[in-house]
Amino acid sequence: MIPSSFRAGVKAAIPIWIAYISTSFTLGLSARAYGLSMGEIVLMSALVFAAPAQFAALEPLASGKPALQILFVTFLINLRFLVMSAAIAPYFGRVKRAALLLSSHLISISTFIIPYVHFQKQAGGLVVAEEMEEWGRGNFHYFLGLAATSFSVWVVGAGIGYWAALHVPSGFEEGLKFMLPGYFVSLLAVELKGKGALLIGLASFLAAVPGALLNTDWGWLAAALAIGTIGWGIEQWIQRAPR
Amino acid sequence: MGLVSYLIRALPQLFLAGRSFPEAFERYLRYLSYALIASIISTGLFLSGGHFDAADAPRRSLALVAAVVVASWSGKPLIGMLVGTLLAQTLP
Repeated sequence: MIPSSFRAGVKAAIPIWIAYISTSFTLGLSARAYGLSMGEIVLMSALVFAAPAQFAALEPLASGKPALQILFVTFLINLRFLVMSAAIAPYFGRVKRAALLLSSHLISISTFIIPYVHFQKQAGGLVVAEEMEEWGRGNFHYFLGLAATSFSVWVVGAGIGYWAALHVPSGFEEGLKFMLPGYFVSLLAVELKGKGALLIGLASFLAAVPGALLNTDWGWLAAALAIGTIGWGIEQWIQRAPR
Repeated sequence: MGLVSYLIRALPQLFLAGRSFPEAFERYLRYLSYALIASIISTGLFLSGGHFDAADAPRRSLALVAAVVVASWSGKPLIGMLVGTLLAQTLP
């Protein structure tokens, strides 16, 4: 019998599915435009399950950039999961470690935020030791219901997007080529809040091409890392300065 | 890529459970992501085979600005991307 907490997780995942359908579809279309095969993008979606890192890998993969660079960028972009994974783990109580290790692959920004907020709302009262196991298992089932279904939508969506791209007639290469940077810039336009983040985004955008012209493989990456670090450092310095 | 992504997610379940990170550190990680993504937009749009694509740059820049304006106004990245794509495809 399916636990009620699992069903609650599935129900809570519906908004994520809607968001994932469009994004994974775009990923599939872009993957086709950058010359990946359907098997490659479906496998990548299943193994990486992280939109920004996957989108970011398409251009370097297509242009034959060094594997080390692709791994480094994946590492940096996905580093946020470290914080999320550490934050959600205590809510799973005494669930077996093997189950936790398997399910940790399903943590993404969306599949973290909704369960985390849900668990925090529920954690108003103290959990007594005897109920700890039951409480952790319920939370874990909720997470699984939400994350496993979202993961499936993501992987299938990427495959369908790729399949759709196969049926786009020739002459639309420019539009397909724009989709990836177009999606990224639109995402940043909605996500970027605060002067610091905006300036860092803009400076990185402007410095990337000169950086890449100086060194094709690492120039743009070094520029982005330097600007992100210096921008953050300046913001920290301003915040700590006496007023 | 899969292994790197998995290790970042799985290791905290073993070693860092319940540990909170300073807000400044979380912001630093966020800023690095923004910087990397902005760089990818720029190089993906304006470079072809390691060279600056001067002929297509004005049209793509216009499409990019339109995508930013529409996404900011609507709050929906997908709509911004669609408008930008349409312009990139149709502008002379």
